[in-house]
Amino acid sequence: MKRLLGGMITFAFISMLAVSVPPPAQELSGTITLSGAWALYPMAVKWGEEFRKLHPKVRVDVQAGGAGKGIADALAGVVDLGMVSREIHPIEVEKGAFAIAVVKDGVVPTISAKNPLLDRILSSGLKKEAFIAVWITETAKTWGDALGTADKTALHVYTRSDACGAAETWAAFLEKRQEDLKGIGVYGDPGLAEAVRRDTLGIGFNNINYAYDAKTLKPLPGIMILPIDLDGSGKIEPAESVYQDRDAITAAIAQGVYPSPPARDLYLVSKGRPQAPLQVEFLRWVLGEGQKFVAETGYIGLSPEKLADGRRKIEGR
Amino acid sequence: MLVLTAVPTFLVLLILIGLFIRARPILAQKPFFSLFFSSAWSPLKGDFGLLPFIMGTLWVTFVSLVLAVPISLLTAVYLSEYAPLSVREFTKPIIDLLAGLPSVIYGVWGVLLVVPLVGRVIAPLFGVTSSGYTILAGGIVLAIMIFPTIISVSLEVFSSIPYPMREASLSLGATKWETVHHVVLKKGLQGIIAAIVLGLSRAFGETMAVLMVVGNIPRLPGSVFDGGYPLPALIANNYGEMMSVPLYDAALMLAAAVLLLVVLFFNVLARLILVRVERRAA
Repeated sequence: MKRLLGGMITFAFISMLAVSVPPPAQELSGTITLSGAWALYPMAVKWGEEFRKLHPKVRVDVQAGGAGKGIADALAGVVDLGMVSREIHPIEVEKGAFAIAVVKDGVVPTISAKNPLLDRILSSGLKKEAFIAVWITETAKTWGDALGTADKTALHVYTRSDACGAAETWAAFLEKRQEDLKGIGVYGDPGLAEAVRRDTLGIGFNNINYAYDAKTLKPLPGIMILPIDLDGSGKIEPAESVYQDRDAITAAIAQGVYPSPPARDLYLVSKGRPQAPLQVEFLRWVLGEGQKFVAETGYIGLSPEKLADGRRKIEGR
Repeated sequence: MLVLTAVPTFLVLLILIGLFIRARPILAQKPFFSLFFSSAWSPLKGDFGLLPFIMGTLWVTFVSLVLAVPISLLTAVYLSEYAPLSVREFTKPIIDLLAGLPSVIYGVWGVLLVVPLVGRVIAPLFGVTSSGYTILAGGIVLAIMIFPTIISVSLEVFSSIPYPMREASLSLGATKWETVHHVVLKKGLQGIIAAIVLGLSRAFGETMAVLMVVGNIPRLPGSVFDGGYPLPALIANNYGEMMSVPLYDAALMLAAAVLLLVVLFFNVLARLILVRVERRAA
């Protein structure tokens, strides 16, 4: 009898152990904080929303402020992930920046839709040398100088005042750095778009998602995209005319028709390889399932090789 | 409780010391002259001339004072000496409200209204083409931000002048304006100076509103229709590059320390003057 009782207790004990399953592996909770590039902001917000649908206990806080803020915050440990819309500098890597490329987008030059020379500008575009004369050497003081005509209409040059990836990438296209871009410094991507919108003689640049309307996919009312004369022919050929709507420009970037820079990869940066399971899972999801939402949000997906590289980097291989 | 009171005082000191410690690398490496008197600003090439920013701050603050002081003083005189009680009671809370508005609201309003005003109306009046993002725009926005400071301190100064003094002047046959001019303003001069100095130190430190309208061009301004780049805007805009360029963080900390010292100096000065005024009134 005692042996039967002992056996029953032992059996009950063992079956209890077998029945107590571990908690589901997907039950993540906590907060992930991101800050930085205006360029990545819409994508990060979208990713945050979708990730939350899978893991309701996770909150993703996203803050803009420019790529410089993203890197500074990430390296200072103030946020989990910094959003950076430019290449990471060696000195930042030395300070511990661990960057994963997550998506691609581009910077486009912008003018006001009410520019008096609009038709001429749209039909001939500007060559890279003209952009350098406008922003770097400041030898183009009038629209005529930029276009190569005798026109004396004044040119108002705008750039970004905050340390940001858009300016750094646009400067990289002109083979310089952000501090070499001369012009009136306006704060933030939306600020620069607004300044160009209101100044009929203005010229500026924006990330795609701040130059195009997210709903209509057309350029923002009041803004036109200044075509880049890539082959220097003095005319915008049909092949170079890729700016009608957001889908056209993203396709052009994906196919390499629009050069990189000013198109570039966007990075999420952490201080050292991320260790917290929540961050690792978020990054893994971004490089995997998260890529589904890239096209609808107006970005360009990365190639499978780059995504695999990223995944390996996270795992430390 | 004494300890609790000492905390804010020590905090200011701690901040100042902290800033100077972080600024030491650049103070050690670069000659003093090239930091404060050079206008070359090219951090990647190692040029950290703070002169354009110091001049930008001085220009914007000076413009704002020129605009704010006459209007604020006259407003304070009107509210104190001429206005019926109902007008005074109605206006004072509104002026205090102005003081409480966040800086970024002034900035957005400045971008929407002041910048086009300067670019499309004021600049052409003087025959200058300008985008509107100018020192003048920054000065206008700043002037509105320091109205409440100067007005409320001046009102307190005027109310501390004993009424019998005004009565004595009026009884001698002076008109109201002569009384105001020779008695109130003269007696209140020290207090008015303190009010102006307090407004000045607020103007020095305003960041967000100014950086949205001032153009952020790191060059010595040639006129009020040029863009400028005050010290607080420098720190706010480039905080992000701190980690990415050698000595940049030390340069920005130095700029912050300079700004803190200037504001501290003017605040202490204003307080000393005000203490003297109050002691005399008592």
